[in-house]
Amino acid sequence: MIARIWAIALNTFREAARIRVLYGILVIVVGSNLLALFLGELAQHDADRVARDVGLAGISLFGSLTAIFLGVFLLYTEVSRRTIHAIVAKPISRWEFVLGKYAGMGIVLSVLVGVFALAMLAMLVAQGAPVTSGVVKALVLAWLEVVTVAAIAIFFSSFSTPFLSGIFALGMWVIGRLTPDLEAQARAAAPWIRTTTRIALEIVPDIHLFAVSGRTLDGAAVSVHGEFVPWSYVALAAAHGAGWIACLIALAALLFHRRDFA
Amino acid sequence: MEDLAIDVQDLAKTYRTPLARKKVEALRGVSFTVERGQIFGFVGPNGAGKTTTIRALMGLVRPTSGTASLLGHPLGSRAAKRRIGFLPESPYFYDYLTVGELCDLAGRLFGMPPAARRARADELIAKVGLAGARGQSLKKFSKGMLQRAGLAQALMNDPELVVLDEPMSGLDPIGRKEVRDLILELRDAGKTVFFSTHILSDVEAITDRVAIVAKGRIQALGTPGELVSRSVRGIDVVVRLPAGLAAGDDAALIAGATSARRVGDELSLMLPADADVDSWLARARAAGAKVVQVAPRHETLEELFVRRVTGADPALREAGAGQPEVAP
Repeated sequence: MIARIWAIALNTFREAARIRVLYGILVIVVGSNLLALFLGELAQHDADRVARDVGLAGISLFGSLTAIFLGVFLLYTEVSRRTIHAIVAKPISRWEFVLGKYAGMGIVLSVLVGVFALAMLAMLVAQGAPVTSGVVKALVLAWLEVVTVAAIAIFFSSFSTPFLSGIFALGMWVIGRLTPDLEAQARAAAPWIRTTTRIALEIVPDIHLFAVSGRTLDGAAVSVHGEFVPWSYVALAAAHGAGWIACLIALAALLFHRRDFA
Repeated sequence: MEDLAIDVQDLAKTYRTPLARKKVEALRGVSFTVERGQIFGFVGPNGAGKTTTIRALMGLVRPTSGTASLLGHPLGSRAAKRRIGFLPESPYFYDYLTVGELCDLAGRLFGMPPAARRARADELIAKVGLAGARGQSLKKFSKGMLQRAGLAQALMNDPELVVLDEPMSGLDPIGRKEVRDLILELRDAGKTVFFSTHILSDVEAITDRVAIVAKGRIQALGTPGELVSRSVRGIDVVVRLPAGLAAGDDAALIAGATSARRVGDELSLMLPADADVDSWLARARAAGAKVVQVAPRHETLEELFVRRVTGADPALREAGAGQPEVAP
């Protein structure tokens, strides 16, 4: 089973590695880090702060958008281009195929996040700024955000077109990011809006858990530039992400299992 | 049954379009069996249900009703899939891969160890004539080359049953002959080969049994010999007429023939199956003709195909469609 999933994952990684657009994204991220370097010089005393902010925002934004872009095509193109026909006829279950596709995309996104992170850390080191545990935790959380968004995109890709999947996944990502703000807004609204908002937010992953810098948790301000969350928080966020990933991939596999490949 | 490679009973598949509420009956109770070690040809016009049957057998679509087993295992079972090789219709593969990588992927899915994968891929790539294109991505392959690459990946697991959907499609005459030879080679190695096609010359040349399918139903099933030799449709006669016999003077010989054609002094005609051939030959000799050939005319597979297919679908007869592809 592991060998079959790995075979699909490796093939998915190979496919992504041969898509030139990914290299474009890498160039954009390296460019944004260079921009951070320039902005840092302008800010004089806050150069490392700018590097951290731009670096983490770049990982979150470009990582998540890449996850959506790759994810919405992942299963759809297998069916529309009929490449799945020769695969499904081999001794592999459809759920193994879906899991392998997700694993391969997870590897691609991890490499991408790794490159982004290395670029950011290199800039911090170049500026003589310390690489704190807060920065490392923020990077882990950003990676969790990206792989969770990838699962959302794949889920929609199992039954919808890339365009619609992209809209749905983008919507879930934005809503998941803004959950605390939407909740705060709903508190002052009519009861039925409060109830509807609460129900709607329950079916969206709490992606804001992965972008915690700048927020207030339990009455304390959290910042990657100062006091950041403990590792126990990162572990809880990881468990939350893993739970959503498991549910979304299981649902994608179930939907894929029922499909005819005509 | 253990001695059957494929056992299909009353297989039906109806596609439904949820919004339009339209139903398309692709298969309407298809039944046939394929014994082990046979080459089985599955013939039919476009839209007959050939590919749907194959997709159902390969687990790509779920039958609406009916049962089927492959090598004694139910459809979709991993035990069966391990022993089956499959070439899809108009094969679409990951075009960023090379043929070696495609075979390696297939080998991995069959659980083959790395050394065995490499050795088998090398052997098959050479066998299908793609050794010179090993380093190229499939994106740069012609349709014929893709077909060969598809055959290589289908044979990676040294399958007992090989299912080929239109394997000759897109190949030139030499390529088609090579695929026919490969199919015969597989049969000689004890494999079962099930292939669909609408090139009847290929079917007549290599199959042990044939099923003609049209409108989602089996229209005829048997060996090519059984299907075409059950009745004599007429007597083909060729005579050489005496020199100087005018065109109108052969009217007595042509009378009663169902068809006649004269080229120079050679007259070819077909007499009805119940004609008195001896008295006709005596008349011809009396007129100074020399008999070149007398042979019973059996129905050809092509004629049978057209009759069964247009009989199954009157619309095809009116439109003149459903004609088989005649290989050059």
